Amino acid sequence: MKRRNLLQLGGATAGLTLAGIPLELLAAGKKGGVINVALQPEPPSIMIGTIQNGPALLVGGNIYEGLLSYDEQLAPQPSLATAWTVSPDGLTYVFKLKPNVRWHDGKPFTAADVVFSIDVFLRKTHARARSNMAVVQSIREVDPLTVEFKLKQPFGPFLGIFPANGMPMVPKHIYEGAADFLKHPAHATPIGTGPFKFKEWARASYIQLVRNDDYHVKDAPLVDSLYFHVIPDAASRANAFESGKIDVLPGGSVEYFDVARLAKLPGVVVTTKGWEMFAPLSWIVINNRKAPMDNVKFRQALSLALDREAMRKVAWYGYAEVPNGPFNRHLKYARADLPKLARDKDKAKQLLADVGYKGEPLRLLPLPYGETWQRLAEITRQNLAEVGIKVELAPTDVAGWNQRLNEWDFDLAFNFLYQHGDAALGVARNYTTSNIEKGSPFNNVEGYSNPKVDALFDQGQKELDPAKRQAIYFEVQKLLVDEMPVAWLHELNFPTVYRARVNNPINSGVGLNDGFAKAWLA
Amino acid sequence: MKRTQFMVKRVLQGLIAILLIATVNFMLVRAAPGDPVSVMAGEAGASDAQFVAQLRAQFGLDKPITTQLATYLGKVVQLDLGYSYRQQQPVLKLILDRLPATLLLTGSAFVLSLIFGITLGALSARKAGTWVDSAISLVALVFYATPLYWLALMAVLVFTVQLDWLPGFGFSTVGSGATGLALAWDIAQHLVLPVLTLALFYMAVYARMTRAAMLEVAQMDFVKTARAKGVKPGRILRAHVLRNALLPVVTLAGIQAGGLIGGAVLTETVFAWPGLGRLMFDALLQRDYSLLLGTFLVTAAMAVLFNLITDLVYTLVDPRIEL
Amino acid sequence: MTLKSPFMRRYMRNKGAVAGTVVLLLVAFIAVFGPWIATNDPWGMVQQPFLRPWTEPGFAMGTDTLGRDILSGVIYGARISLLIGLVSTVVALLIGVTLGAIAGYFGGWIDAALMRFTEIFQAVPSFALAIVLVAIFQPSVGSIVAAIAIVSWPPVARLVRSEFLTLRQRDFVQAALLAGQSTPRIILTQILPNAMSPIIVMASLMIATAILLESSLSFLGLGDPNQMSWGYMVGSARTVLRQAWWMALFPGLAIVLTVLALNLVGEGLNDGLNQRLDGRTK
Repeated sequence: MKRRNLLQLGGATAGLTLAGIPLELLAAGKKGGVINVALQPEPPSIMIGTIQNGPALLVGGNIYEGLLSYDEQLAPQPSLATAWTVSPDGLTYVFKLKPNVRWHDGKPFTAADVVFSIDVFLRKTHARARSNMAVVQSIREVDPLTVEFKLKQPFGPFLGIFPANGMPMVPKHIYEGAADFLKHPAHATPIGTGPFKFKEWARASYIQLVRNDDYHVKDAPLVDSLYFHVIPDAASRANAFESGKIDVLPGGSVEYFDVARLAKLPGVVVTTKGWEMFAPLSWIVINNRKAPMDNVKFRQALSLALDREAMRKVAWYGYAEVPNGPFNRHLKYARADLPKLARDKDKAKQLLADVGYKGEPLRLLPLPYGETWQRLAEITRQNLAEVGIKVELAPTDVAGWNQRLNEWDFDLAFNFLYQHGDAALGVARNYTTSNIEKGSPFNNVEGYSNPKVDALFDQGQKELDPAKRQAIYFEVQKLLVDEMPVAWLHELNFPTVYRARVNNPINSGVGLNDGFAKAWLA
Repeated sequence: MKRTQFMVKRVLQGLIAILLIATVNFMLVRAAPGDPVSVMAGEAGASDAQFVAQLRAQFGLDKPITTQLATYLGKVVQLDLGYSYRQQQPVLKLILDRLPATLLLTGSAFVLSLIFGITLGALSARKAGTWVDSAISLVALVFYATPLYWLALMAVLVFTVQLDWLPGFGFSTVGSGATGLALAWDIAQHLVLPVLTLALFYMAVYARMTRAAMLEVAQMDFVKTARAKGVKPGRILRAHVLRNALLPVVTLAGIQAGGLIGGAVLTETVFAWPGLGRLMFDALLQRDYSLLLGTFLVTAAMAVLFNLITDLVYTLVDPRIEL
Repeated sequence: MTLKSPFMRRYMRNKGAVAGTVVLLLVAFIAVFGPWIATNDPWGMVQQPFLRPWTEPGFAMGTDTLGRDILSGVIYGARISLLIGLVSTVVALLIGVTLGAIAGYFGGWIDAALMRFTEIFQAVPSFALAIVLVAIFQPSVGSIVAAIAIVSWPPVARLVRSEFLTLRQRDFVQAALLAGQSTPRIILTQILPNAMSPIIVMASLMIATAILLESSLSFLGLGDPNQMSWGYMVGSARTVLRQAWWMALFPGLAIVLTVLALNLVGEGLNDGLNQRLDGRTK
């Protein structure tokens, strides 16, 4: 076995491409053009240091960058950092920054910006960055192009916390000293280091970005301009795409039956790639605190009653996969050998009889994000009724759903989360005792508590050796499947639909969020 | 002098009513579970107590409710409708941005429905008992009974999906970049279905109301007298019958006019028309308190205003009515 | 009220009203005996999705996105629509009649105060108010009934008030006052029966409006998700209109027919209770 390597050199793989763009294309000068993208809903802001919902990241991901980016296998790639080293004890990380990078207003990007962004700005504004940085003891500028992180304890997923959506770099010279980072006039004209610059935002109409001619990657981006059109109605979006007004329909912006229909049109490409980093997983949260759901047999029965295949076909139109447990298959250390979660009505009925379930009705909270989730809730109700579990749908809107989950005021509830590439970043928060806290729908809302699981997740995040990490996470997956704290439903694919003349819009693990830099128009 | 007195009295009453409505709405929307912060935190996909607390402070939601109410009412009196943190814009601007689209839709529907409704109703009354009357009455009745959103959907189904004659969604064609006359034509095309849908319902109402009122008035003594005196039927119709029959129509028109701003939620939803009704609905879902209250206030003000105008129009139509 | 009474004679003369009554009775029958008539559970996913009407025996109206039988849905929908329509109208009547009677009988500042109170409710567009109320109380049959009742009572109050104002001055009321009858007794036994005609006519129209309101709320997604209602069915059809137009057509037709019938019946009641029409041609 090789001695643990101290130096991991990142760098564009030498070869026939430059940042994914075939050299012959660059030579041919295939520059220019406009890409029209559908945007839904209109984000409150595109300053992704303060707002991180989907549409904000879709637009803002072209303006801002992080230290690292990630390919489909979620291996870290250089972005604003070109090389990085890890000390043998895993407590010191040193990043070398790319030289001659400029902000959109011309000022140079340096290590001071990195320290400011992470240590000062994001600590105040970005919940996920804040929690990821909990393990960091200090961060300092070694020289204008070198940043050093010192950790309190080893943290396995540390290199995975630097994508633009998780740790965007913001300009120190604009925000330093401001009293309120959340509300700042400069947010209206975002300045980043990314491939596209902010041009214009016509509210309720469109957002326009233009090429950053001083971008630090040579000859990129190729397209002149990006237009993000706000079209609130799904049918209108599909219409606009069909008629050629829109070139790209990002995942989640088009209804699934429309995807099937549009895919048949000539010159249209449908892909499920670009979600490997986010790795969405949906499940039914089961309130472990209340009877009969506190009994593991009841929860197993519930899971066995669900017809995930039918849901996959009928509600998701095939754009989903049945999982085998708490890890999306794209996640590092996901176990491929566990069986897919199956349906067995007889076994379910047997377990219910063992538990002594008398037929008390349970309230199910659907996700208030559209027709598909409503249909899923209805299918669930039918599935559970077939084994004798009586379910009533509790209707709610987004605010109500948030409120109920925050306050643990539910029996069953639908939820789906992004797993962010690493179990320590996106999975542990749902099953560890320390994450049982009112006020958020994204932590351990079900109230599951198992010291063994806590210990495993704790070990997993401290462990640096990949082989050992795998062993730990394999064990915790099996354990969680046995205990079934929640009923996992599907790994979601959010298909992106786009015109064939737009080439290479998805070329990383975060898909469209940073893909347009390397796209070109045929 | 009397008219001025009347107007002043009514305007004052109206202002008090609006303030009361504002207060009631203020308390009402806060009774809904969740708040704008929980919505935004939910969309962010990650949040913690600090994030939530920060947003709450920013939105002014951490102050006691009485303080919030006082601040709000104070602003309303100065015609400051507040700020939508969700959309990062002043509420007034958001409303004014959507106002033209709404007025275009509801205004056109209003005018159309009044003209055609009264005409058809008068025609129907004139030819009472004939097949013309029966036909008009039946059609009016059917449109009156049809749910607005269903009519809208059927219109889209027939004219957009099947026949492809007219666009069924949106204000104008996305990304077309058209300007001037071409843009106007594009908008006009998008306007046809929504306006027709909205207008048909009210047309039916006005037609039936006009017919019934005219028939009732036609029985009255002063009309018989006029006929006996030999006044031409056309003149009787216009000068005597129509004028008096219009009173209930005026009432209804006043109510519809009052709803010009906020009453088209269903039409706007089906046709994806970027109007105030839809803005209000979205604001409700996002618990965007300031925006929601702002739209309510504007709507209520319109209704109060048109109540007043209706009463004034009464006096014009029928001088016998005293203020 | 025998079949030969003046009321029935006038009512029957209105052919529309007769037709409406027949339809209404049919709908009521379906509502009451629905579960025995329908062949499927409306929520049951029993066939392939998007089945066109008349292609499979037993699925005359086809199936929806999840393969549920639309005909059964329409049948069950009748129950909810009529139930909500009736109950909310009754509640609205209770509120409206009570307040209107008090305002009309006592007059003076009580009247003024109550009328200002009524005006506040009338200033906000009723549908918008209903949406806000349902969103606040979270959609359920109860909250929908309450919301519809709350936005529907003002016109009733106004009507009852104007009736009471006129009737109050009549001789028989003066006589009852002189006889020393108590106020509630006068209101309930003397005035109210004489004011019933317009109230009844209004009630039939209110049921129709209530059904339209409920279906609109369900269409927007604010209905009770545990009840298969007509509005909900049309709402879930909206996004798949291209694929399955029949999902919107049939429930919509059901609403139109029911509301139409109620309106015709209302007109018939108006004719029947309106003594002035005797001997006159319309």
